[in-house]
Amino acid sequence: MTLFAQQFVNGIALGSVYALVALGLTLVYGVLKVPNFAHGALYMAGAYVVYVMLTAVGGSYALAIAVAVVVIAVMGAAMEFVVFRRLEGKSSVHAMIAALGVLFFLEGTADVIWGPDFRPVPTPLDGVVTAFGINITEQRILVIVAAIVAMAGLYFLLKRTLVGMSIEAMAQDREGALLVGIDTRRVALITFAISGALAAIAGALIAPLVLVFPTMGAVIILKAFVIVILGGMGSVPGAILGGYLLALAETMAGTYVAFAFSELIAFALLVLVLVFRPTGLFQKGV
Amino acid sequence: MRRIRRRSGSAGRLVLLASVVFLAGACGGEGGAGEDGLEVVPIGFAGPLSGGAAYYGRNVLRGLQMASDEIAESGGFMVDGRAHRFEIVTADDRYLPYETSTAARRLLQQNQPAVILVPHAGGIRALQEINLREPKFLLLAYSSEPSILEAQNPLMVMLPPRFDGYQEPFIDVLMPRFGNRLALLGTTTAYGRAWTESVTAEWTSRGGTVGRDHGVDYNTTTDFTGAVSRALADNPDVLFIGGPSQPTALVIRAAREQGFGGGFLIMDQAKFMEMLDIVSMEALEGAVGVYPQSLYPTEGTPGWVARYHERFGQDFQVPTSEVAINYQGLHLVARAMELAGTTTDPEAIRARIGEAARTMPDELRIFDMGGVTDAGHLTRAVFAAHVLNGEFIAVPIPVPASTQLR
Repeated sequence: MTLFAQQFVNGIALGSVYALVALGLTLVYGVLKVPNFAHGALYMAGAYVVYVMLTAVGGSYALAIAVAVVVIAVMGAAMEFVVFRRLEGKSSVHAMIAALGVLFFLEGTADVIWGPDFRPVPTPLDGVVTAFGINITEQRILVIVAAIVAMAGLYFLLKRTLVGMSIEAMAQDREGALLVGIDTRRVALITFAISGALAAIAGALIAPLVLVFPTMGAVIILKAFVIVILGGMGSVPGAILGGYLLALAETMAGTYVAFAFSELIAFALLVLVLVFRPTGLFQKGV
Repeated sequence: MRRIRRRSGSAGRLVLLASVVFLAGACGGEGGAGEDGLEVVPIGFAGPLSGGAAYYGRNVLRGLQMASDEIAESGGFMVDGRAHRFEIVTADDRYLPYETSTAARRLLQQNQPAVILVPHAGGIRALQEINLREPKFLLLAYSSEPSILEAQNPLMVMLPPRFDGYQEPFIDVLMPRFGNRLALLGTTTAYGRAWTESVTAEWTSRGGTVGRDHGVDYNTTTDFTGAVSRALADNPDVLFIGGPSQPTALVIRAAREQGFGGGFLIMDQAKFMEMLDIVSMEALEGAVGVYPQSLYPTEGTPGWVARYHERFGQDFQVPTSEVAINYQGLHLVARAMELAGTTTDPEAIRARIGEAARTMPDELRIFDMGGVTDAGHLTRAVFAAHVLNGEFIAVPIPVPASTQLR
C-alpha cells in the first residue's frame, strides 16, 4: 500500500509536467490546427533559460522561472510570426513539416551553444519531506502545486478575459471569429505566446529534477502528442486529465508489470484510443 | 532578358564547378604533405556525432584528436625516413549499426584510411565482415562487449577491458559489506541488458538473491523516482545501476532521497568523476565502479591529465576513460606504423600493435599494457574503485586466465 501511495505521488508529479506541455500543444492545435512539434523545443529552451539563470547569471529560482516564461513566450510568438503565419491557408502537412524543421533547428542551436552534454541544474529546493512512509522532495511538491496554479491561471484567462474568449471563439470557428471582428492574427500570436509560456513553466519546473540537454524536448513531445490525442485534439481538460492519466499509467505499469514496459504504455494507449475512440476520451471544445 | 539570365546561369555553374574542383584539390591531403611538411595519414572515425549519443562520440573523438595533435606538434612519427602526422576523418553513424557500414564505406571512398575506429559493439560487428575485404582496414574497436572477440577478426584490436571481468571483483567488495539482496535498475540498452544478465548470473552463483528487473532506458526516462521507488520496495542491500554518468547520478540521488543506505554496483559506462557534478561523495559511499581515469594509478596518468587540461581548459570536465583509451589507442597505432614501416598496410600494422603496447614510452603510457591476444584484445592492468569513507580505494581486476598474448 505504501508503495502504491508512493508511486501515486511520483505519478502525479510527473503528470503535472506532462499536462503542462500537452496544454500548450493542444491550445495551438485547437486554435490554429498546427501540430506543433517545435513545442518540445520551447520546453527544452525553457529548461536552458533556467540553467543559464541559475548557473551563470545568478538570482533566485523564482526569478529564473519568470525570465524563462517571458523569454519563451516571446520565442513562441516569434515562431508564429516568422514561420506559421506564412503557411496560413496551406495544408497542415506544410505546417507539420515546418514545425519539425523548427524543432531540429532549435535543437541544433542548443547543441551549438551548450554542446550535447547533459547539464545538471542546481536544485534550489533539495529537502525531502516524509509522511506516512512516503518520500517526496520539496522540488516535486513545488512542481505539483505550481502546475495547478498555472492551470488555474490558464482557466481564468480563457474563461474570464476578452483575450481568452477570443481564443475560444477562434478555436470554435475561425471564420465566425473573423466575422464578429476578432483580429485572428493577433489571437494566433497570443496563443503561441501562451503556449510558449506553458512550455517554459514545465521546462523550468522539471529542470532541477532532471538533466538539461538539446534533445530533451523530443522525448516529451511524443508523449504530449499521445496525451493530446488521448484527451481529444484541442481539448484543454483532455490535456490536463490525459497528462495525469498517462503519467500514472506509466508509473503503475512500471510498478506492477515492469519498468521496461512503461515507455511502451504511452504508445499502446495511443493505438487503443485511435482504434476505439478516435476523437479522444473527452469531448472536444476549448 | 531570358538569354542573359541563362548565360549568367551557366557562368554561375562554371564558377561552382571551379570551386568544387578547387575544394576537392584542397581537401585531398591523401598521402601528400601537409602545410607543416609532414605526410598526412588519414584515420577514420565512424561513430555517433549527432543524436542522443553525440556526447559520447565527441568524447571518443577528443581522445583521438588530442593524440593526433600531440604527434603533429612533436614533429610527427617516422615511417620510411619521412615524418608523418594523422588527420582524423569522421563520418556520423548516429550510433546505428546499419549506418556504421555506410559511414565506413564513405570514409574508405573519400579518404582511404588504413585504420577506422568504431565506438560501439553493433557497429563493430557490422564492420567485421567488411574490414577483411578489399580495401582492407584495421578496425579499432572501442567497446567492452566481449562478444566482438568471437569473430576472431584478424584485423581488429579491441582497446578497452572486457566488461565481463568487472562483475566478480565488484561483488567481492559489495556482498560482504552490505548483504546478499540485489535489485536491478540498469539501463535497457543492449549493452545494459548484457550487463544485467552477467551481474544476475554472478550474484546468484554466490548464493545471493536477485529481485525482478526494474531497468529503464536511461536515455529516454524523464523521471527516475518511480523506478527507484519500485526497486527499493524489494528492500535490497545493493542496487545495480548504470547507463550514461549523469542519469546514473540522478538514480543515485533519487535512491538516497528515498532513504536507501546500501551499496551501488555501477556499470562501467558511468564514470565517478562525471557523477560528482551531480551528487556528493557522501551519496556515493558504498559504490563500486570503474576507477576514475584522471586518478588512474599509472606513471603516465598525472602528466596526461595535465596535458589534457592544458589543451581543453581547466573547467572543461575531467578526462574520462573514453578520452584516455582512444588517446592511448591512436598513439599505439602511430608506434605500430613506425615499427611496421608502413602507414597503409593494415595487416603489417596489426602485427606490431602488441610490440607497440609493450614498448610505449612512459610519458605516453596511461595503461600498463601487456599485448594483444589472438582474438584481438589489448590486455592491460585494470582497476575498480570502491568508495569507502569518502575515498576511492583501488581494487585490481584479474585478467581472464584464457588470455593468450601474442
